[in-house]
Amino acid sequence: MSPEPYDRDLTLPPPRLSVGAAGWVRANLFGTWYDGVLTLVCAAALALALWFGLVWVFRDADWGVVATLGGNFAIGQYNTEAACPGKNCFWRPQVVLLLVTMFLGMSWGLTKSGIARTVAILVASAAAAFAFLPYSMEKMGMDVRVLLLANAPALGAGWAIARHTSMSVRWFIILGVAAFLLSLGLLRGLPGMQPVPTIYWGGLMLNLLLAVGGIAASLPIGVALALGRRSRLPVVKVMCVTFIEVFRGVPLITLLFMSQVLVPLAFPEDFPLNSVARAGIIITLFSAAYMAENVRGGLQALDPGQMEAARALGLAAWQTTLLISLPQALRNVIPAIAGQFIGLFKDTSLVYIIGMLDVVEIGRAFILGNPEYLENARELFVFLALVFWIFTYGMSYVSRRIEYHLGVGKR
Amino acid sequence: MAGTDAAEDIIVCRHVHKWFGEFHALKGVTTSVRRGEKVVILGPSGSGKSTFIRSINRLEEHQKGDIIVDGVRLTNDVRDIDAIRREVGMVFQSFNLFPHLTVIDNITLAPIKVRKWPRAQAEEAARALLERVGIPEQAEKYPSELSGGQQQRVAIARALAMQPEIMLFDEPTSALDPEMIKEVLDVMRELATSGMTMLIVTHEVGFAREVADRVLMFDEGVIIEDAPPDDFFNNPQHERAKAFLSQILA
Repeated sequence: MSPEPYDRDLTLPPPRLSVGAAGWVRANLFGTWYDGVLTLVCAAALALALWFGLVWVFRDADWGVVATLGGNFAIGQYNTEAACPGKNCFWRPQVVLLLVTMFLGMSWGLTKSGIARTVAILVASAAAAFAFLPYSMEKMGMDVRVLLLANAPALGAGWAIARHTSMSVRWFIILGVAAFLLSLGLLRGLPGMQPVPTIYWGGLMLNLLLAVGGIAASLPIGVALALGRRSRLPVVKVMCVTFIEVFRGVPLITLLFMSQVLVPLAFPEDFPLNSVARAGIIITLFSAAYMAENVRGGLQALDPGQMEAARALGLAAWQTTLLISLPQALRNVIPAIAGQFIGLFKDTSLVYIIGMLDVVEIGRAFILGNPEYLENARELFVFLALVFWIFTYGMSYVSRRIEYHLGVGKR
Repeated sequence: MAGTDAAEDIIVCRHVHKWFGEFHALKGVTTSVRRGEKVVILGPSGSGKSTFIRSINRLEEHQKGDIIVDGVRLTNDVRDIDAIRREVGMVFQSFNLFPHLTVIDNITLAPIKVRKWPRAQAEEAARALLERVGIPEQAEKYPSELSGGQQQRVAIARALAMQPEIMLFDEPTSALDPEMIKEVLDVMRELATSGMTMLIVTHEVGFAREVADRVLMFDEGVIIEDAPPDDFFNNPQHERAKAFLSQILA
């Protein structure tokens, strides 16, 4: 028998029920009789949960408690009479928000990538949208609304600055650190301004300050620790291993307690570090210890041939690390790094343990202080869960986009 | 032994020993390579041939004996090692291109970072090298988008970008499909005619016969044959060399 002639097209379409939506449903939902039963039971349970959930959200729940707390969620007691006597200090966190928006605009102008654009526009429009909250003018004045609206031009300004100066990444980072420090100074009160003690800092602002500072600082510290742990110098190695194991081995709550209780014992009473700074440092170091192990995992997964090739080309050891090892190692552990950052953000709510009123504690303290709202605790915590979820989902989304974006040259 | 004229010798090895833990990988290797010479290194796996050429740019550290490359003695002095690595290019069995950089960035990296060339000059040189290895159109791609043969040619271009005096090839075609071996060997042939000093670990006998000035055969950490290719292939002296040749020529 002669073989089939080559020029005849032997390509056939696949059987209809194996592809497309019908094929997917058949393969995944009703493959066997017990798959079918499971699918039906789960679908029924989901439908019921969704139904009761929607009924509660739209009919039974009383969301008044969220509206009542309003700006307290955002800034805690920052603008109370005790924090800022005789003055209105609400504009300061708002200016900080404007700086954030401007910075996001700059990152959009800088990277020309879709990720930065999406995040920048979402944040700026959300901030501007708050200007239209149906509060009375007495509760939310015109000044507040105007500053919120200003987030839109701030975004444009940041974008234009980055575009027109063709800003380098180095300057972007320097400006970012400067803006962060300026924000801290502004909130604390720059010289000549009414100081606002850090014990009054609170709300989502406190969570975000701790999270942003912690994330920005723990990545480089974690990378340094990971490299130190792989160092051939025994002193460096032992120091890094000790640091990592101590900070990983102790619960964050314990570390926060120790920072509050032990540090003042060991240092003079007028030790300049306030509780926010101490909490920030503890959270940063705690996160850095985990980060170090993530990065080390990425470094260990690298093909030794990569380093050999770099060294054979005459690159110095530090150049090999900076240009060859780290970019590949960090890219490989983006999911772990994103997970670490999400954990860090959620952990910032633990600062309630040292008496700070983060966004969760604001809600809890309000319920405790106003028993008439006790029945609304459920609404309050559902709202808080949603707030946390929005931020963590945003981080997860950004990390996935970055992963996809950097996956271009993946082996 | 060939190449005893010290003035001409670009690589001199005297009684080089290397241990991996208890394993004695190089057992007193003594040889030298003249400027412009093409040396093919053969031997069964585990015979020390890769360890030997990796010692020449100190990817492996020898523990006894002397290795002198281009007048510089290899010690633990980092500056000496870096200086030698700048003059010695290396091509690996598994290419070892940097996957996070494009082809052109792979090639320009070392000239820019080590030689401190301006980017424009480095890129111009890189494009000329890509032309030379026959893939000028692949400059903006990532290594993963290229075939194995193309990747190895990029790796050769990357090594050549540093304008080395010596090129080391560690089984450059062993990871390639048969139809890609030829394109890499063609590039190496062209390079050989340009007068480059080359040390090549390979199993490509035809290539060795054609290009080599000398063939070294390693066995159990010792050089057991050192002869021009015709003598080596037609009239091997050592029993192990005969056995090895009968296996690879079969």
